[in-house]
Amino acid sequence: MNNIVAEQPWLWAGLVAYLVATLVAMWGLSPRLAGVEGGVARQHEKVVLASISLGVLLLTIAIAVRWVRIGHGPWLNLFELLMSQLWSLGLIYALLYWRLPGLRPSAAIVMLVMWILGSWVLLLEPLPSHFPATYYNFWKWFHVGLGKVFLGLLLAGVGLAGVMILRRTERGRQWFRAMPTDAVIDRLAWRLMMLALVFDSLMLITGAVWAQDAWGRYWAWDALETSSFFTWLLLAVGLHVRLSFKLPPWLSGVIIISIFVLAFVTYFGIPYISPAAHKGMV
Amino acid sequence: MVRILQALASLKLTLAGMVLLGIGAALSYGNPVETSIWVLVAPMALLALNLAAAILTNPRINRQPGLLVFHVGLLGLVLLAGIGRLTHLDAHLEIAQGQSFRPELMMDVRKGPWHAGALDKVAFTQGRFTVDYAPQLRRGLTHSQVFVPQPDGTVLELDVGDDRPLVLERYRFYTTHNKGFAPLLTWIPHEGEAVTGLVHMPSYPLFEYKQDNRWTPPGTEEDIKFWLQLDTGLTLEDSWVLDGRNSRGVLVVTSGDQRIELKPGEEAQLPHGRLRFERLTTWMGYRVFYDPTIQWLFFVSVAGVFGLGHFFWKRLSLVAWTDDDKGPDSKGGTA
Ligand code: HEM
Repeated sequence: MNNIVAEQPWLWAGLVAYLVATLVAMWGLSPRLAGVEGGVARQHEKVVLASISLGVLLLTIAIAVRWVRIGHGPWLNLFELLMSQLWSLGLIYALLYWRLPGLRPSAAIVMLVMWILGSWVLLLEPLPSHFPATYYNFWKWFHVGLGKVFLGLLLAGVGLAGVMILRRTERGRQWFRAMPTDAVIDRLAWRLMMLALVFDSLMLITGAVWAQDAWGRYWAWDALETSSFFTWLLLAVGLHVRLSFKLPPWLSGVIIISIFVLAFVTYFGIPYISPAAHKGMV
Repeated sequence: MVRILQALASLKLTLAGMVLLGIGAALSYGNPVETSIWVLVAPMALLALNLAAAILTNPRINRQPGLLVFHVGLLGLVLLAGIGRLTHLDAHLEIAQGQSFRPELMMDVRKGPWHAGALDKVAFTQGRFTVDYAPQLRRGLTHSQVFVPQPDGTVLELDVGDDRPLVLERYRFYTTHNKGFAPLLTWIPHEGEAVTGLVHMPSYPLFEYKQDNRWTPPGTEEDIKFWLQLDTGLTLEDSWVLDGRNSRGVLVVTSGDQRIELKPGEEAQLPHGRLRFERLTTWMGYRVFYDPTIQWLFFVSVAGVFGLGHFFWKRLSLVAWTDDDKGPDSKGGTA
């Protein structure tokens, strides 16, 4: 084991807080709580919200400490991107969890998905990264920030999609008995998708402006651009499929999850298989 | 007529068009030369027709201002992107310190058939440049000095580089990683006029290990090989600044079995004439970009997204997101 660097204890503490949120959210689905009066049955939701918020706070410190240590923000290597996404996904989800009580039980699914990032970041070395010339550009703030909101909304959609799919089983219906009907969940999920489309479009626009500044072209079908275009198009297809056909809730859920998977691969897969995009070259 | 329009406006056609556009995007990945631009243009044209028909005939679009602005914006984007392809210019430029821009210096020029920019009005002279490197030769900021003559006769000195292009007559010049050294040589043939010119060596430090080039003097078959031995202070372990002012070079000239080392100011006697190494200078590689639609693309796309945001906002405020959500959703049936 190498030396522990300054941000790691804060990162681990943040992940522990997320772990507490995950376990409590799962416990909250327990059939033992069935029949218990609504108010009492929802006590644990405060713990979930508080733990996610604490996790976000601890991750904020982790990011700040690293920022000071290496001299620039978490924009570049996979370790940084995962840490920063864990932070922003937690923040956005905490806000949605707070404002939209209807979706709270789906936190069990959302937090489990978050653990893909959580366990991945634990496997990586916190190596410092090089800050390329093209990253001084101020559009990166908009591009990255809008992308974070986009992914956060998709993640919340995945929670609802998971509920619609799991409810095809008896156990799933038990777990999510406290949630509104599938029709309401479906509508809520697709509103999140529409909002996601707004942020996705803005992310692509600001990304194109940045690309024009950085490389002298706004769109050139590189790996990242092609993949993010697919994500945008799939969102458009999803929204229009819903206008043309009456979809069963589980299929609606499958479409939402595919959009998320594509977005996830665009964020965390593509930049690392194609060295040409978004990396400063010699 | 209305029938045809309504058929064209079908949402199923939209879905088909989107799938085709997806295939076109997949085929365009990485801009392969053998892929025709039509794989994108055809589905976009189909979608544009479909969308125009829907905007005209489908009240679900044209009665909802936000959604209307968004879809009209999409149409505008396709149109602008098309105009952009017809009028654009893309090229590379290698220009040496002290050299003035001439359109003939541009290489790999690709332009649309309607390109009509005022390239002949573009005037600037390249100055020196520096490039910062972090350890392990990771490139940092580029500072390239350019001199731009002004209408009042003065000369404006600008510092461009990376994401700060030189913009003249809407042509945008972006520095690239492609830059290097160039010995300035004078060739004095046994008979005829002396000529002075530059030999651009390969990009530095990318091709640090092969700083060579060759040249055949006009009217001869002599094959002169140049190899530039450089001392630029380049290190892997430390930060370093590439700067022509701190760089020295010895030019190794080989012709037949003759091998001569020249320092700046020195001359070599070769079979067909004399070659003088005047001095070492540098060249900067720019990417040249011209597309009169980019600002419009930006405005139209932002306006479109605001339309969508407005539509979403109205939806959002129509009903609460809870179980008692029995309020009207603005469209019938499917939601
Ligand atoms: C190119 C041809 C297109 C046509 C003909 C078309 C047509 C339509 C129509 C008729 C509606 C119905 C509005 C309603 O019922 O409320 C609609 C909604 C919508 N369209 Fe399009 N559209 C096209 C492309 C796109 C694209 C490329 C996107 C985005 C990427 C998009 C995003 C949307 C959104 C977000 C809605 C609202 C969905 C909802 O109410 O659930 N459209 N479109």
